[in-house]
Amino acid sequence: MRFLEKIRSYIKISGVTPISRRYFIMNAFDGATTILGIVIGAYVAEVTNEFWIMWPGLGATLAMSLSGFVGAYMTEEAERARRLDSLEKSMLIELKNSVVGKAGRFASMWAAIIDGLSPALAAIVCLTPFFLSSRSLFSITLAVQLSIIIALTIMFMLGVFLGKISKRNMLLHGVKMLVVGLIITLVFLTLKISQ
Amino acid sequence: MIRRLVLDVLKPHKPSVIELSLVLSDLEGIEGVNIIIYEIDQEVENAKVTIAGNAIDFENIKKKLEEMGATIHSVDEVAAGKRVVEEVKTPQDRSARM
Repeated sequence: MRFLEKIRSYIKISGVTPISRRYFIMNAFDGATTILGIVIGAYVAEVTNEFWIMWPGLGATLAMSLSGFVGAYMTEEAERARRLDSLEKSMLIELKNSVVGKAGRFASMWAAIIDGLSPALAAIVCLTPFFLSSRSLFSITLAVQLSIIIALTIMFMLGVFLGKISKRNMLLHGVKMLVVGLIITLVFLTLKISQ
Repeated sequence: MIRRLVLDVLKPHKPSVIELSLVLSDLEGIEGVNIIIYEIDQEVENAKVTIAGNAIDFENIKKKLEEMGATIHSVDEVAAGKRVVEEVKTPQDRSARM
């Protein structure tokens, strides 16, 4: 309980919530888009083995997560160190060991975890039909269709979430995000037809 | 035994006075805390912190304030002993103020 209180206090002091929310939406969207690209690309190439989609998908997931984690950590850490230096100059004391310094370090790690986990979460959910297909639960064609639907649904839900936090039209925001996924899908399907 | 302490404190905007007052009031020997912000700068703010209790530990308060990123500028008033003695006004004080 004490630990949770401390975490809550660090989140409040560092003001990391809006940043992590941005990271979450941006990177979950990245995760879903990347897997959508891989799946549709594989569909156009008429891939018959689900492992040929799963492994590139998992590779991309790992790369996105690691890049998100390291990128966010380095950026946040540098930004917060600069802010702490400036505050120390105003206060004329060292704040590294105070709750302000600790909250800053926590915020860098928190943002990095969100940035690393969100694309992985979206990507793994999109890849789930292929895990099930590899267990012969259904055909690869159905897995491709399900994966595309899941990716588009995630994009739509992220838009709805954006609409909710901005207190605007949730449906409109959902559709805006969905359009990006539909563009990718349509471009590739056109390529397939013109093959 | 310190019963009342008035401090001039410099603190960052965060943690807020609400968090600071709750943390201070949670310390042993403290019965109540009052914090008033009287000056705000771009990154810091000055606060008058009034603490009342039956056994206020100054060092403990100083440590807690530093933990919260604040620093004591000055100790403006102390009341110690079996009962709180208020400041006594004298003619000299009045003439000095005029």
